[in-house]
Amino acid sequence: MSTSTDSTPRYTYQLPVAVAPSEPPLAAEGATASLQDALLVGNLLWFVRLRWVAIFALIGFGAAGLLVRGAFPPLGLRPPTGWPFLIAALLLLANLGYLGHARLIVRNPQHRGAAWNLWVQIVADLLALTVVVYFLGSLETTAPFMYLAHVVLACIFFPRWQSFVVVVVASGLYAACVIVERLEIVHTPGIYLDPLLRQAMTGHSAFPWVTASSALGIFFVVWFLASHLSSLVRQQERELAEANWRLTIAQRDKTRHMLRTTHELKAPFAAIAANAQLLLRGNCGVLPGEAAEVVRRIAARCRRLALEIQEMLQLANLRSADEQPKPLRLDLAEMVRWAIARVGAAAQERRVTVDADLAPAHVVAVEDHIKMLLTNIIANAVVYSYEGGSVRVRCHATAADGPVITIEDEGIGIPADKLPRIFDEYYRTEEAVRHNKDSTGLGLAIVRHVAASHEIRVQVESAPNRGTRFTLRFPRTG
Amino acid sequence: MSYVLVVDDDEDFATATATVLRGEGHDARIELDLSAAIRSMTERVPDLVVLDVMFPEDSTGGFELARKMRRSESALKDVPILMLTAVNTRFPLGFSSKDIDEDWLPVTDFLEKPVDLDVLAARVASILANRRSARGGARE
Repeated sequence: MSTSTDSTPRYTYQLPVAVAPSEPPLAAEGATASLQDALLVGNLLWFVRLRWVAIFALIGFGAAGLLVRGAFPPLGLRPPTGWPFLIAALLLLANLGYLGHARLIVRNPQHRGAAWNLWVQIVADLLALTVVVYFLGSLETTAPFMYLAHVVLACIFFPRWQSFVVVVVASGLYAACVIVERLEIVHTPGIYLDPLLRQAMTGHSAFPWVTASSALGIFFVVWFLASHLSSLVRQQERELAEANWRLTIAQRDKTRHMLRTTHELKAPFAAIAANAQLLLRGNCGVLPGEAAEVVRRIAARCRRLALEIQEMLQLANLRSADEQPKPLRLDLAEMVRWAIARVGAAAQERRVTVDADLAPAHVVAVEDHIKMLLTNIIANAVVYSYEGGSVRVRCHATAADGPVITIEDEGIGIPADKLPRIFDEYYRTEEAVRHNKDSTGLGLAIVRHVAASHEIRVQVESAPNRGTRFTLRFPRTG
Repeated sequence: MSYVLVVDDDEDFATATATVLRGEGHDARIELDLSAAIRSMTERVPDLVVLDVMFPEDSTGGFELARKMRRSESALKDVPILMLTAVNTRFPLGFSSKDIDEDWLPVTDFLEKPVDLDVLAARVASILANRRSARGGARE
C-alpha cells in the first residue's frame, strides 16, 4: 500500500451512493383497495388544507369590510357585512370535523369512511359557495365561476359518473341561487355599489336566465373536457400501475426461482464435494499419486463452486424483499473482529498479517449484511495481498460524521481504468484472476448492494502493485 | 465410542458423512426418511443426531423432527441435534422466519452444506464432548 512518501500515483473511485432498488410490497388481495383508500385520505386532507386558505381569505375579506371600509367605494364595491365571518366560522367548524374524521381513518385502516368524508366536504363547500355567490351577486359578478374549481377537482378525484353528480349539484345550487335572487326571497344588494349594473343584467326578463343558462352550459362543457382528460390520464395510470405490478411479480418470481434452483443444486453438489473429500482424507484407502492429484483438483473446484453458490445466494437474498432481517444497533468493531476471524485461515495460508485498530462505533444495521460486507472486503485485502504482506483494518467513530472503517492492503492493487467496474457482478480484473483463481466476481457486487441499502459511502483508492484502501463511511445514528 | 444417527434423504451425502464419523471412531447409522429415523431412535437412543431439513414428503421435516424430539418425554428430549442442511441458516427459502430463528429452533448446532468434512468431524467431537461433560456434571 502506498504511503504519503510513495510517488506511485494512487487512483480513487467513489462508489455512487444509490439506494438499492427494493421490490415493492406484494400486491395482496385488497392491496388496490387499500391503496385507493390511502389516496382518498390524502385527497381529503389536501381539501382540508385548501379550505384553511379559503377560510383565511373569507376572514380577511370580512376584516377588510370592517377595518378599511373606505377602501371599497373607490373601487365601486360595497364593503361586506358580517356574512364572510359567519361562513368562515361554519367552514372552520366543518373543517375541524373533517380533520378529526380523517385522523380516525388514518389511525384505523379498517375504517372505510374516506369517500363519504370527501363527498360531505364537496357538498358542504358547494352550499357555502352558493351563499357567497348569492351575497356577491349571482348574475352581475364572475363569482359563479368559482363552482368550476369544484367541478375540475371532482373530475380529478372521482370517477366520471361521480364528477357528473358534482356538476349537477353545483348547477342545481347555482340555479336555485339565481331563482332566490330573482324572486328576492332574501334581499341582498350584491357587491357592486352601482345599482345600475344589476339593473342592466336584469332589465330584460329573459336576460338573467340566458346568463345563468350560459354559465351552466360552461359548467357542463368544462366538466366534459376535464372528466374526459382525467379519465384518459387515470386509464394510463392504471395501465402503468398494472405493468409495474406484473414486472414486480415477475422479478420476485425470478429471484425465488433462482434461489430455489441454486438450493436444489446445492444438495447434490454437497454429496459430490463430500465424496471427493472422503477420497482425499484417505477414508477409502490411499490413492495413487496421479489419482490423488485429480481428486485434489475436483475438491478445489468444489470449494470454488461452493463459494460461488454461497455468494449467488447472498446476492439473490439481498435483492429479494422477502423477509429481510431487522436492523439492530451494532458495534462495528465487533463486526470487524468477526470478519477478521472468518478470514483467519486464508490469511495464515498466505502468511498475511491482519493488524486491527478498533474503537467501538455504533450503527443501526442488519448484522448479517454488515458481516457480509466486511468479510468480503477484508477477504479481498488478504487474498490480493502478496505472500507475507500485511492488511491494516481501522474502525473509529467520528464526532462530526458517522463511523469510518478503513481496510488497507499492500497487494496487487487495481488499475485506474478498472476501478469503476470492480463492483459489477462477475467482473474480475485480469490481474485479480492471475493472482487468485478462486475469485467469483460477486464479492464486491454484494458490497455494493449492502452499501446502497445501508447508505454507506464506499471509497476505493488503489495503486497497481502497491495496494488498495477501502474507506467505508457509515451514516451517523440518531 | 458414541452412537451417531445420520438422518438425510441424500444417500450419497449421508454415506459420506457416516464414513467420516466411523473414521473418527463413532458408531454411525444412516436413516433416509423421517419415520424410519423416529423408529430407529426410539429403539436405540443416539448420542447425537445429524439431521437434514428438507425431505421429499415434507420440506421442513427436519425442523418438525427436532421439535418432536424436544417435546418428547423420553430420553430423546436431551439428545443433541446437529442440523446439517443446504438451507441457509439465515436466509429462508419458503420457510417462515420462525423456522430459522436460532433461539426458537431447538438444535444444538447448524452446519451448511456443502460442508468441509474436517469441520464436520470437529463439530461432532465438540458436541459429544460437551454432552459427556454435561452428563458427568449432572452425575456429580
